[in-house]
Amino acid sequence: MFQSTKALVGLSVSAVLTCSVAFANPYEPYAGTTLVVNFPAHPHYNAVMEILPQFTEETGINVEVDQLEYLKMRERQTLELTKDKGDYDLVAYVVFSKADYVFADQLENLAKYFMNPRLADPTYDAGDLIDGYVANIGVAGGEKGYLPGQTGSLFGIPFGAETSVLAYRKDIFEKLGLKVPTTYDELLDVACKIPQLEPGMGGMATRAASGHHASHAFLLHLAPLGGRVFDAEWNPIINSPEGVAAAKALKTLVDCGPEGGATFGPAEAAASFQQGKSAMFMDSIAFAAGFEDPSKSTVVGKVGYAMHPEGVRRGSQTGGFGIGIPANAQHKEAAFLLMQWLTNKKQDLAIAMAGGNPSRFSTYQNAELNAKYPYSATFGEALKYADPDWRPIIPTWGAINADIGTTMSKVLTEGLDPQEALDGVAERARAIMDDAGYYTWSK
Amino acid sequence: MQIARINRLTPYFFLAPAIIVMAVALLYPIGYMVWASFLDWNPSQRIGEADFVGLRNYAKLLNDAAFLESFWVTVKFAAVVVVLEMILGVGLAMLLDRQLRGMTLLRTIFILPMMIAPIVVGLMWRYMYHPSVGLFNRTLKSFGLEPVPWLSDGTWAFASIVIADIWQWTPFIFILSLAALQSLPRSAMEAARIDGASGWQLIWFIKLPLMLPVLIVTALLRLIDAFKVLEVILVMTNGGPGLSTEILALRISRTASEFRELGTAAAMSNLLLILLMALTLAMFTYTKISEARAARLRAAASKDH
Repeated sequence: MFQSTKALVGLSVSAVLTCSVAFANPYEPYAGTTLVVNFPAHPHYNAVMEILPQFTEETGINVEVDQLEYLKMRERQTLELTKDKGDYDLVAYVVFSKADYVFADQLENLAKYFMNPRLADPTYDAGDLIDGYVANIGVAGGEKGYLPGQTGSLFGIPFGAETSVLAYRKDIFEKLGLKVPTTYDELLDVACKIPQLEPGMGGMATRAASGHHASHAFLLHLAPLGGRVFDAEWNPIINSPEGVAAAKALKTLVDCGPEGGATFGPAEAAASFQQGKSAMFMDSIAFAAGFEDPSKSTVVGKVGYAMHPEGVRRGSQTGGFGIGIPANAQHKEAAFLLMQWLTNKKQDLAIAMAGGNPSRFSTYQNAELNAKYPYSATFGEALKYADPDWRPIIPTWGAINADIGTTMSKVLTEGLDPQEALDGVAERARAIMDDAGYYTWSK
Repeated sequence: MQIARINRLTPYFFLAPAIIVMAVALLYPIGYMVWASFLDWNPSQRIGEADFVGLRNYAKLLNDAAFLESFWVTVKFAAVVVVLEMILGVGLAMLLDRQLRGMTLLRTIFILPMMIAPIVVGLMWRYMYHPSVGLFNRTLKSFGLEPVPWLSDGTWAFASIVIADIWQWTPFIFILSLAALQSLPRSAMEAARIDGASGWQLIWFIKLPLMLPVLIVTALLRLIDAFKVLEVILVMTNGGPGLSTEILALRISRTASEFRELGTAAAMSNLLLILLMALTLAMFTYTKISEARAARLRAAASKDH
């Protein structure tokens, strides 16, 4: 009995060995490993959860997911990443965490994995990844420190990233004989015409709530109108004529928008559009699926999408999440395999079909996806103009962002003069930047 | 000799566990916070890696217009809500301090708001204040009145959070005042009535002075709480519009999580702690003084006899 068991074990071991030689399965050395990953509670990651079991089936690598609300997730990661031995092997991070994590040396540089022939899949086709996303979320160390450039390198891969598009009511535009705006002048004009032509309907619903949302809404217009927060030497130029134009544009949109719009967060703005109280909504592509959901939306089938209108240049926002490997992870190579698997062409499409946000241009062009979500082609087109530098990704950004947000809220609700408001922001931003050492070389 | 010394030390042995628990559970975290307030500490660092910056965080705060504004908002908020809640709570207790049928049920209903989780209270009020579908504006409109910008105008937003706080916390004062009222000595009241005191006189000269010690503690508890209120305002306005409702607790939480400046957040918490301790001390000193005064008066009165 004992003998025969031994023989059996020997037989199966040799069988496994011959198999591995025969198929050269790159996942085999890691089979049986359990990876712990940290994902946000977000529609994209809910879609990911649907296809994850397939990874275990194909590779024998187990995955345990810790899914948290995204602000909680960030807090948890902040603690996890400072430990000597972390619990997470792969983390999804919000784009502004890139500045903090890379600066604190807490994310693995991915070069060594892509150089490793046993790990890197030659058919991965990194060139197909949406470049605006990669620049925004994945790369650091190049231009201005947070962008790609000669000195940059890759720390993460966009996964659940988003850009901005203009959603509009096809039926209302047709009824009123309006043209879908392609420039900012047209946008502002149409936004204020709608409430006059269709009483009770707001022009465009936008985020405007004090804090992060008001800042987000302002920056959304700043880039296409030709402005930036800082110049190349970190001098605040947010109070330039372009900045004032962006603030005025936002004020016009809020004033001509739905009732009470000055305190809307993204959910309320989306709800206003979804309930037919506003004719336009310009925000993340992630909202599109909700507009087509008959249980929540009264505008199913009536929504058209256009590119973010052009100001002096085209520039839609970039944001959302990326995935990276923590420097204190315990199964880095297996984590890389999961990361590569999740973002390869096949899975990117599968996740998109399940309702996630694609990270690849090819996915947006896929016929099957366009049949299911007809807006995909427009989104793919919009992504060609995605601006990775629409807001700076630097450690001091949290404080400056909050200041822009509260000041912009004063412009929207208390009638503070935009120039005066932005001069104040610029002055305070300079003090924050000075404190953090950004003027060390210009002094 | 030996035994005497042991006897003398015995009380300390009994106190020791309490002191140890106190040191670990109370002094350690506070000490940690005080130490952190002297550091330039970013949450991506361990506390040991943070740079020591002395009093820089405090100096920065005292020159920070946003912090000073939120400090002022907090003081204004605490003062307004505590005064209004005390008046309403004590008033209600006076009205309901009688034998009514169904009183127990009524009392339970009165204290319901206190039992609701703050996040829920915030959400509930936020929907009631909603500009177009909210209860208040719909009601105003149905009477043909102009809708009010409850949360989108600085002054109104402040009033809105005050209203919500009063709704939630008046019952706390009510229930404590009622308990105080019901434990007052009946003899004093009867004596006053026999002397011909009117209802108002009874309240002003007998009930309120006798309740005072309880009322002071109640007000103090509410004040401390009002300085730390966070969730309801976070959900309702997130500090906006502008900084009009950004109370200190909210600013501290944003400084720690959004601005990622743990040192500055700790410094703010310390300033808040110092302020609260000063208030507490002032209140206790006041009660001490008034008790001493009452004792003196009593002594003088008994001498006269």
